Amino acid sequence: MTDEEIISAPGLWTNGKTPAGVILGNGTRISGPKAFARFKSEQTNALTIGDLCTMDGVHFALNKDARVTIGDACAFYGCVILCEKEVRIGRFVIMGWNVVISDSDFHPTEPNERMLDVIACSPLAEGRPRRAYPSKPVIIGNDVYIGHAATILKGVTIGDGAWIEPGAMVTRDVPAGMRVLGNPAQIIGPVGDES
Amino acid sequence: MIGTTLRQYPCDWEPIPMRDNIIVDPLAHIDSAFSFDLCRSELPVAIELGRGSQVLDGTMLDVGPNGRVTVGTCSMLNACWLIADAEITIGDYTMMSWSVVLMDCYRFPFDYRKRREELLRLPTRPGRKSAAPAQANPIHIGNNVWIGFEACVLPGVTVGDGSVIGARSVVTEDVPPYTIVAGNPARPVRQLKREEAV
Repeated sequence: MTDEEIISAPGLWTNGKTPAGVILGNGTRISGPKAFARFKSEQTNALTIGDLCTMDGVHFALNKDARVTIGDACAFYGCVILCEKEVRIGRFVIMGWNVVISDSDFHPTEPNERMLDVIACSPLAEGRPRRAYPSKPVIIGNDVYIGHAATILKGVTIGDGAWIEPGAMVTRDVPAGMRVLGNPAQIIGPVGDES
Repeated sequence: MIGTTLRQYPCDWEPIPMRDNIIVDPLAHIDSAFSFDLCRSELPVAIELGRGSQVLDGTMLDVGPNGRVTVGTCSMLNACWLIADAEITIGDYTMMSWSVVLMDCYRFPFDYRKRREELLRLPTRPGRKSAAPAQANPIHIGNNVWIGFEACVLPGVTVGDGSVIGARSVVTEDVPPYTIVAGNPARPVRQLKREEAV
């Protein structure tokens, strides 16, 4: 295939037919057998990915109300997107392997609530629905770099051009153009300062 | 252009082509030639494995066109990932646990304009992997170092002789000799006694 053909080819999943609700831009490629193993979204626009994206070994673990949008020309390698309601990712975003993005904690924090939740998850619940638990959208701007094994927790907004160092545990918002590191992630300076 | 030779190691089902600039000591142990599948170095000596060194269990050496990796005597790489666009040197008698990552570059440039250019070209790159020249700073791991599982060493870091890096640490600064460091970012925890080598 010539470069033009690769760029203008309709988006595809190399391992099969994408589930309903997945909209892929031209030149976009999803690969890996487990990409949609935990995809349960019932939304009509559950997963929207722009043009020229590379999603290599990414797991899209979307629950039934989940909506994920990813902009153009992103490159994700071996990361996991856990979505309960909403994850929005901008253009030109890079994510290394073992990155985890989650817009929910998936269980309540209060001990009694949590016990009820565990019972609801067990075989004793016989499929009865679980109580709702909180979810806050994760929003990632344009030109963000996320190093391998970094974790982005619920409710976090990452500004344009931010640089997340490998292994960072991002629990709070990251301002645009800043570089963060550590657990919990702390700002170590603006991007462009590195010698 | 570097040639390849078919080589088969204990975990390989069939012979796998391995680049000729990978120098393996006759007394080194390798589990699988697949560990060198991502080596693209064009240097005359890309990877050098010392006497009694071991490359075990799914270790990957991702070596860029100008990258070089040296592993000393009796050092053990146990399912680690090395990303070398400049140079990674590992001393003698060093142990590295599973999922340890040593990266001497971030694979993408810091300047977002250059990142954008590369991302627009990415679909046409071989294996859809970045080929952009990114700034690389060599990593040097000393002798008799012990690195705990899932620890990560960032570009430009030097780890002194006899030190220990705790599990899941992210090492951002140089580690002095005979020091235990731990945490994300890694901080010194304790000094080790320096004794005459046996």
